[in-house]
Amino acid sequence: MGSRQITEKSLSMLRSLPRISLGNIRDNPNCKKNPKRGRAQHGGDKHGAGNKGSGQRQNFMRLGYETGNNPFYLRVPQEHYYRGQHLRREYPPLSLHQLQNMIDKDRLDVNQPIDIASIVRSGIYNFFPDLKQFGVNLTDEGADIFVAKVNIEVQWASEQVIAAIEKNGGVITTAYYDPHSLLLLKNPKKFFESGQAIPRRMIPPPDAIEFYTSAKTRGYLADPEEISKERLKLSQKYGYSLPNIEKESNYEMLCEKKDPRQIFYGLEPGWVVNLKDECILKPKDQELLQFYNS
Amino acid sequence: MTSALISAIRRLHIAVTPQIRVYSSNVAATTSAGSNSLSITKKEWAFQPQYTKPREVWIENLDTIEEQKLGLFELHPSVYAAPPRLDIINQNVVWQRKIRFVSWAHTKTRAEVRGGGKKPWPQKGTGRARHGSIRSPLWRGGGIAHGPRSGKSHFFMLPFHVRIHGLTTTLSSKLAQDDLHIVKDLELPTDEPEFLAELVEKRNWGPSVLIVDDTDYAPRNITAATDSLAHINIMPVYGLNVYSMLKHDTLVLTLSAAEKIEERLLHWLHADTRAQSREYKVNQV
Repeated sequence: MGSRQITEKSLSMLRSLPRISLGNIRDNPNCKKNPKRGRAQHGGDKHGAGNKGSGQRQNFMRLGYETGNNPFYLRVPQEHYYRGQHLRREYPPLSLHQLQNMIDKDRLDVNQPIDIASIVRSGIYNFFPDLKQFGVNLTDEGADIFVAKVNIEVQWASEQVIAAIEKNGGVITTAYYDPHSLLLLKNPKKFFESGQAIPRRMIPPPDAIEFYTSAKTRGYLADPEEISKERLKLSQKYGYSLPNIEKESNYEMLCEKKDPRQIFYGLEPGWVVNLKDECILKPKDQELLQFYNS
Repeated sequence: MTSALISAIRRLHIAVTPQIRVYSSNVAATTSAGSNSLSITKKEWAFQPQYTKPREVWIENLDTIEEQKLGLFELHPSVYAAPPRLDIINQNVVWQRKIRFVSWAHTKTRAEVRGGGKKPWPQKGTGRARHGSIRSPLWRGGGIAHGPRSGKSHFFMLPFHVRIHGLTTTLSSKLAQDDLHIVKDLELPTDEPEFLAELVEKRNWGPSVLIVDDTDYAPRNITAATDSLAHINIMPVYGLNVYSMLKHDTLVLTLSAAEKIEERLLHWLHADTRAQSREYKVNQV
C-alpha cells in the first residue's frame, strides 16, 4: 500500500468526522518542549546540572589553561602555513564530471557560450564573491568521460582540463573578473533592477596578470595566434588529433569571446538594461563613450 | 433545525470508497438529473498530477435557490487533495493569531509605583525584618517583579512552505468534508439578503459562508445582499487564508478563483524557493 492510499484514506475518513474548525484543531502531541523547569518536589532538585562544582556554577577555566603549566598551545612554536591566506584568491571547484552532468540534464545550453553566469543559473554551482571567491576552478575529475563540445569561459583551469575540452572540439578560455563584476554575473536580474549602468570589467591584479596573459593557460588576454600554437602543442603532448573547428557548423558560436572590458555576453559596459520596459539604453555622450571604451 | 439534522445525518454516512475521478459513463447518468447542458472540463496543467487522479467537482449556480449542476470541473490533487495535516493547519492558525497580536498588559515595577523612597525603619535595632522601600515586591501595594510590560509583540514568520501547505491542506480538508463548492459566477437575481440566506439554508451550506472571487470587486447584487448578513462574507483570492477558511463553515469559490488559487499554489509548490527560505534555515554556518 503506497502513500497515495494513505492520503486517499485519510481524506475519506475526514468525510465521516466533524467539520474541521477553529475549535477542534491542535498541534501534534509532544511536539513542543516545555520551556519552564520543574519546581515540584523532585522535578526541581538539580535541574540537570549535577551536584556542586563547575556543572552548577559554570566556573570553567579558560580554554587551554592548564592550571599554571606552560600550556600546549604555547609549548609548540608557531608555523605560519596560513599567513596571508585571508588575502588569497579562492576559486571554488567545479569538476568536468559535474559539468557533463549539468549538460546531460539540460541545465546548461551547449549551443550558447557558457560563462559563470550560466553555470550559476544552472542552480548546481554557487560561489560568494564577498568571501574572496573569484569564480570557477574547472577540475579534471571526470575528464575521461567528458564528451560535450562547448565554448566555455572559466576563471581557472589546469592543463588536463584544457586538453579534455579541446579534444572534443571545444574551446576554453580563462578570464578574470573583479569581485564587483562577479556579483553582477551571479545575480544579473538584481543588478538590472537597480537601474545602474553596466560597469567595465577591471583588469587582473599584478599577481594574476601572468596567468591570464599566458597562451598555455588559454588566458583571455593572450595572443590568439599563440593560443592556436599552444592548442596544437597540447594535442601532441596528450596524443589526440585536434578537431578542425573551422569546419564546424557552429564555428561562430565556438569563436565567440567577450571583450576584456565586457561582463555580459551581448551587453557592453555603459548600457542600462530596463527590465520594466524591456529595452536597452545606450550612452551617447562622447565623454561617457570614451570612459567606457577605455 | 432541519438543516442541522440533515447535516448530522450526512456526516454519519461513512464514505468507504476514496473519491476518485468520475468517468464519462457516470456523467451521462447525471445529465438526466437536472440541467440540459453540462460542461465537462478536462484540464491540462503545467504540472501534471503524477500518482493521484484529479478531483472532480460540480459547478453550481447562484441564481436560483435550488441547486443546478452546470458542469463538471477538475481540480489538481496537489492543491485540493493534499494530505490533511491538522498540525500544519494549527500552526497556520496560531501564526495568524500571533502575527498581529501585541500584548498591552502592563504592570508597574517598584520604581514606577508612587512613593517608597524612604527607608521605612532603621536597618538594625527595631526587631523587625529589614526593608528598604515600602514598594518592594514583597509588600502589599508594592511593585510587580517580572510582570507583563506593554507593547510586547508576538510577531514571527512561519516558514514559507508551511504557509503554502497550510493553504493546500485546508482546501483539501474542506473539499473532503463537502464544505467546498464551486460556482460559475456570483450573479444573483436580486439584492435582497433573504434570497441569499434562503439559498444557503436550502443548500445546507451551514450558517457561515466564505465566498471567494478572482477579482476584488463583486457584482452589485451579492455585495448588497451580503452587506447585512454578517455570517456571509466575500473575499478576493489574494486574501484567502487558513483562518478565514476555518472560521466559515462553507467555502464557495468561483470557477476563476479556483483556477487562480490552483495556479498560484502549483507555481509555489514547484518553484525554486531557496531564496525565500534561506532566512528561516536553522544552523546556518
